[in-house]
Amino acid sequence: MLEVKDLSLYIDDLLLFNNINLQVKSGEVHVFMGKNGVGKSSIAKALIGDNNYKVKGQIIYNKEDITNLNIYERSKRGIYLINQNPMAIEGVTNAEMLRVALSEKLQKNIDIFSFSKELNQICEALELNPSFLHRDINVGCSGGERKKIELLHMWVLKPSLIILDEIDSGLDVDALKIVGKSLKKYLEEYKPGVIIITHSKSLIDFFPNCYVHLFSDHELLKSGDKSLALEILNKGFKEISNTFVISKNDKNE
Amino acid sequence: MNKLLVSDIIDIDEGSYELNCKSKEITINIHKTVNLYLINEEVEKININLNNNSILNIYKYDEEIKNDLKVIINQNNNSKINYYASFVNRKNSNLVILNNIKGNDNYSNINIRNVSEDGNSTIIIESFLESKTINNEAIENLKGITNGGLVHIEPNIEVSSNEVVANHFTTIGGLSNDAIFYLMGKGIKKEMAKKILLKGFKFSNMDEYIKNKCGVI
Repeated sequence: MLEVKDLSLYIDDLLLFNNINLQVKSGEVHVFMGKNGVGKSSIAKALIGDNNYKVKGQIIYNKEDITNLNIYERSKRGIYLINQNPMAIEGVTNAEMLRVALSEKLQKNIDIFSFSKELNQICEALELNPSFLHRDINVGCSGGERKKIELLHMWVLKPSLIILDEIDSGLDVDALKIVGKSLKKYLEEYKPGVIIITHSKSLIDFFPNCYVHLFSDHELLKSGDKSLALEILNKGFKEISNTFVISKNDKNE
Repeated sequence: MNKLLVSDIIDIDEGSYELNCKSKEITINIHKTVNLYLINEEVEKININLNNNSILNIYKYDEEIKNDLKVIINQNNNSKINYYASFVNRKNSNLVILNNIKGNDNYSNINIRNVSEDGNSTIIIESFLESKTINNEAIENLKGITNGGLVHIEPNIEVSSNEVVANHFTTIGGLSNDAIFYLMGKGIKKEMAKKILLKGFKFSNMDEYIKNKCGVI
């Protein structure tokens, strides 16, 4: 599905990451971890085509080289990002945006009755008041409501690769449960590739199997299974990074 | 919705009306609580007199403004006005609103949205709060988007009284690249994203009646 080959990432000629290699297959959950400011969100933005980032290397999606495609083209191919702070757009309602986006995706006019029915069902599952459908996108919404609204968009647009940038931050326990269950259900139903950027294990716990990647100082330092996340959370980034760097140097010697 | 033909001066007690202006200058005297709608009306001067204890909500929408407009508002005591206007200019245009707050306990909210697609749009809003008046509030909320044209906004509040709440907000800029990026991330083409954002901006201060009339909802 997604293959990142020797990807180096720059912003204003400043190197953020060097030679990252990664593969995400359909139905897999990959967790990106690393200390604040290491550039995890930058990888997410580069993957969806934010042209503020300069990339070297290749991003292959479903066997197609998408390295030079813009965000619209990538979105059309099913790549979807939920940002840690979803933006608010005054004057554009969720329903209107989704109707336009869906008709663009399906290349046909949308049947309003079934569309409206589907939206209401998704709202119910997300415990989101249906009045949000006719409110401006994320305007006047709490952090938790914004994340649920972005999930509503996801369920309507049905992407095949989902990148979740700290979707769990700022959620109360109940909202986290709803978001986690919703993502799990989506994964079971549609088998997308999922990339989760997080600092806690609360969201990871919803997924029995996942791959964990530790990013540190310009590189993908270590990859492993779920136990790596627990190790990171128990020991902290500093200790685990030092251990790994020392053992890597010993090996080289 | 009732429609009212206005030739020059009209007194309105209460209710909601869509105005059809038959002359270039009209005078509206408000007595109780009134909602007024002006859609694509080519009027050049509007005089609004708010009697004591009256409330006016006025919505003026122009898909393409054809002429300069001057609005003069007079408030005496315990009156309230919400003046919402949204317009697109495709040539030079001038909008001047003068609000004279002469008495006490008045509220005024002037809220303007302008998309300048060609030419220069000049918007001058002046609220005057006279001396020895108390407990008045004046708000000016003015936003312009440059989409091929230019926007110049002067928000002025002249206060001669010691006891007043006065706020003005002005924003001029292009469409937000972040918002375009966000919509493109939902699978919407760049041109369509811009179109949606412009439409949203134009109707962001309009009420349901205007949106319905203009086919937005």
